[in-house]
Amino acid sequence: MENIIEVSSLAKVFANQTAIESVDFHVKKGEIFGFLGPSGSGKTTTIKILTGQLTPTSGTAKVFGESVSLLKKAEYRRRFGVLTDNSGLYGRLSIYDNLKLYCDLYDVAYSKIDEVLDAVNLKQEKAKKVSALSKGMTQRVTLARALIHEPELLFLDEPTSALDPTNSLHIHEGLRALNEKGTTIFLTTHDMYEAEVLCDRVAFLNKGQIQLLDTPDKLKKSYSDSTITVELTNGEKVILPAGSEGANRLFEYMNTNQVETIHTNEPTLGDIFVQVTGRKLA
Amino acid sequence: MMISLKRMNAILQKDFKDFSRNYAVSIVIVIPILLAAFWGRMGADSIDMHYMLINMTFGMVAAFVQCCLIAEEKEKNTLRGLMLSPASTADILGGKSLLTFIITMVVVFFSAYLAEYKPANVAVIVVAIVLSSFFYIALGTLLGLYSKSVLEASVIVMPVIVIFSFGSFIAVAAEKYPILQAANYLPNLQLIELAAKVEAGAGFGDVLVEFAIILGWVIASIFLTVVIYRKRMVD
Repeated sequence: MENIIEVSSLAKVFANQTAIESVDFHVKKGEIFGFLGPSGSGKTTTIKILTGQLTPTSGTAKVFGESVSLLKKAEYRRRFGVLTDNSGLYGRLSIYDNLKLYCDLYDVAYSKIDEVLDAVNLKQEKAKKVSALSKGMTQRVTLARALIHEPELLFLDEPTSALDPTNSLHIHEGLRALNEKGTTIFLTTHDMYEAEVLCDRVAFLNKGQIQLLDTPDKLKKSYSDSTITVELTNGEKVILPAGSEGANRLFEYMNTNQVETIHTNEPTLGDIFVQVTGRKLA
Repeated sequence: MMISLKRMNAILQKDFKDFSRNYAVSIVIVIPILLAAFWGRMGADSIDMHYMLINMTFGMVAAFVQCCLIAEEKEKNTLRGLMLSPASTADILGGKSLLTFIITMVVVFFSAYLAEYKPANVAVIVVAIVLSSFFYIALGTLLGLYSKSVLEASVIVMPVIVIFSFGSFIAVAAEKYPILQAANYLPNLQLIELAAKVEAGAGFGDVLVEFAIILGWVIASIFLTVVIYRKRMVD
């Protein structure tokens, strides 16, 4: 499959502070790629480099097969969308007027406004002034703006950080639908649930370096201790190995009607992150 | 550089709606008009008085409004959104300057009308005023790009308003202090010089030097603005 993003030995140093170093990864066309890391790990710096807002100190970064320096050209800007924590909106204008401006800038029909507002659950609020919206609603408008031209590649920096679970779920459904239509998504988040349900592959970024990169399933399997926890009817919890010895004991518990619940002991992505980096995702 | 009239118009429409609701900035456009009405009733009809008003309009409307509009786009991170869109530098800077240009022209017209200024050669004066407005709008854009907030913008634009509004006083001071002779080449003083010549019967051919100097300021300020804008596109 064609790579839509290719990054090699990428580094960015601000004054004397290294934001990212020796970062290597690629994102395939049609993939949802998760960039996971705590605050200050270099996620936003990477997005800014990949969208041409920041010049790397060294290394190469290519988007659509071209150097990111070319992203200043209009024909490339039309192909990607960006949502970052500092994506601004015009507070004195309505949601509709904000999106109308971007329809004109991207040559998109105004009928698209209702479609994207529906995707972020804000269709009924389109006449509201942006300054009167809550933080979560503002974030949804910003996301709608990033979606308005149906970009080939979407950069999302913490897209659901200010949202309640219901709206997060709605946004996740919208992003999956967009991805099914062919949009590649580069997502940064520290929400492990979001990464697990959305991402095809994830990279763990810590102190500016990628520590692990794989599919969530493979990571969970490779860090699993291959045990299951059986909760018995008397309240006792028994940890059993996944092999034949564990199977025999489980059969015995089941045969005597002692089993209340059974859980596999796969670690969460958060557990793996802590194990690998020694840091919590926050 | 590609220019899209559709995108420039979209930015103009957005700015018009936004500006009409931004009373803190839009209120300044009435000040030159009120002063003009006042001076007109007082019978102040010298070229220096008329051009103090016109240059003040350039400072308070063209430079101040433009500076605040750009600074607010920076402060609210909306300029970055425009920069990441397919709009070119010309679309964005042109679109963002159109509203200020239109307002400036309207205010200059009403101020001149209320102050009862009737130029001897309207065509020459109109060209000179339009050309001068480009310089002040570019200067406002430049200062806006340097400001981190609207508050900061409204402070750093003040010297511009003072220096360019009261050009006649600088000319008087330049006669006394030779070190200020260079100030005679400022666009506001060149505009006054040009207007005085027009009142004495000069046509386009007689004021080419003044036009050339003002044009030089326009080109230099636009060039500098584009360079700084492009630098601001990258963090």
